[in-house]
Amino acid sequence: MPMSLTVEAQQLVKRFTGRDGTVEAVRGVDLSVAEGEVFGFLGPNGAGKSTTVRMLTTLTRITSGSARVAGADVTADPDAARRGIGVALQEAGLDARQTGRELLVLQARMFGLSAAEGATRAEELLELVDLVDAADRRIQGYSGGMKRRLDLASALVHRPQVLFLDEPTTGLDPASRLTVWDEVRRINVEGTTVFLTTQYLEEADQLCSRLAIIDGGLIVREGTPGALKVDLRKRKSLDYEPSLDEVFLDATGRTRVRVAGQVQGVTE
Amino acid sequence: MKGYWALSGRAVREVLRVPEQLFPTVFIPLFFLVVNVGQAAKIFPSGATPFLKGQNYAAFQVPSALLLAASFGGAAQFLVEDIIGGYFDKLRATPVSRSAIVLGRLSAEALKSLGIATLIVLVALPFGISVASGVLGFLLLIILAAGWAVVYSGFMQLIALKTRSAAATQSGSLVFFPLLFLTPNFVPRNMLTTPMRVAASYNPVTYIMEGLRSLILEHLAWAKIGRGFAVIAIAGVLMVFLNVRAIRRYD
Repeated sequence: MPMSLTVEAQQLVKRFTGRDGTVEAVRGVDLSVAEGEVFGFLGPNGAGKSTTVRMLTTLTRITSGSARVAGADVTADPDAARRGIGVALQEAGLDARQTGRELLVLQARMFGLSAAEGATRAEELLELVDLVDAADRRIQGYSGGMKRRLDLASALVHRPQVLFLDEPTTGLDPASRLTVWDEVRRINVEGTTVFLTTQYLEEADQLCSRLAIIDGGLIVREGTPGALKVDLRKRKSLDYEPSLDEVFLDATGRTRVRVAGQVQGVTE
Repeated sequence: MKGYWALSGRAVREVLRVPEQLFPTVFIPLFFLVVNVGQAAKIFPSGATPFLKGQNYAAFQVPSALLLAASFGGAAQFLVEDIIGGYFDKLRATPVSRSAIVLGRLSAEALKSLGIATLIVLVALPFGISVASGVLGFLLLIILAAGWAVVYSGFMQLIALKTRSAAATQSGSLVFFPLLFLTPNFVPRNMLTTPMRVAASYNPVTYIMEGLRSLILEHLAWAKIGRGFAVIAIAGVLMVFLNVRAIRRYD
């Protein structure tokens, strides 16, 4: 039986034209994410990760190519795509003047829920992300970890088929990062497909069933973490199991060799 | 419609939670009213100035204060904060109609401006100013002023959407000053020099000002009132259309 795909992209291209000319941020990306996967999308800064996610989530127009998300064509029927996705972007995009509860109820109403349904759903989500005590406080007083959890909750108000998380743990302390990982796992177990971009390879290794590495606007590796490691081991004839860091460095042509004098010592 | 009501409610909460923003919106127009009247009232004494229709010069100047108060574009300032903070993307990723995103904010701006216009008129009343067109005229007066607030906020929201810059959006409020000074601000249009009269006649703000002024000085002069509302309607529809289009094309 064929796998049911929740994210499909074919030859996605994004060009930005500005005063300094045209930049091709994404240069022909093909992606397939099956229902129920936690799909990792990795790449160095400026590789095209966020631009790809923004195209898949209808936030940025596609220059050429096509994409279907949650069964809807993102260009032809963006509202249908929006109804099937939840989005938590790189910077937790929250309205700091509202309370956590107000924000969740508002988000629910954006997806067509009534005020009463929104209030009920907000309560469920506040419990899920452990923010009940802070629910009626303004968001401007929340810590970074609380904001991330609230952002995650706001992406789930309408029970999306696919959850897009763009670097969800950047800037978080280790404890908050582990909490977000637990949430991602729980969300996935409940049936939501997760599309995760991250720069933390350990995070990808821990969470993702499959991943793709993008560099210079093109996909340069794709597969399960295990398969990618085996591939590198065979190609380089390594006598040990390489880490995902090494897979990443190999795929993106980066090196971990430090140039003498580049790292400064600190003395008291 | 659910989205529209929810976004309007949020925008009203926003205004109420930043009361500091209201202070310049009330204080600066009243300051200009006092200064302008102080400088020119003796030139235009009530009894010897036919265009004042028996009232004092402050009554002639109140429309400028109302228009100025409606030209701060508070809704656009909040929008640019949403854009910079990332919340605007959060809204765009939902299926809520793009017109609800625009109209939600503009509705709150209209409500705020109704309150501010009422306050300015109430402050002016003890200084010998009356609304000659009565209670209906007073209602039309504050609605017309609020209508201009919607139009001008729509214009400033466009700047916010195009530039995504707080500084550029803020500077949009300054555009109002040339528009204001190219109106029959200090004297009626027929007393302006020919170049100024021509410029004022091409300036849509002139017709709103003349509509407001007629409501204070005259008894329901429907032609002038109608022209003011027509300008608001045309400019309002244009601004909403351009805002919705800017959000749809936003990358």
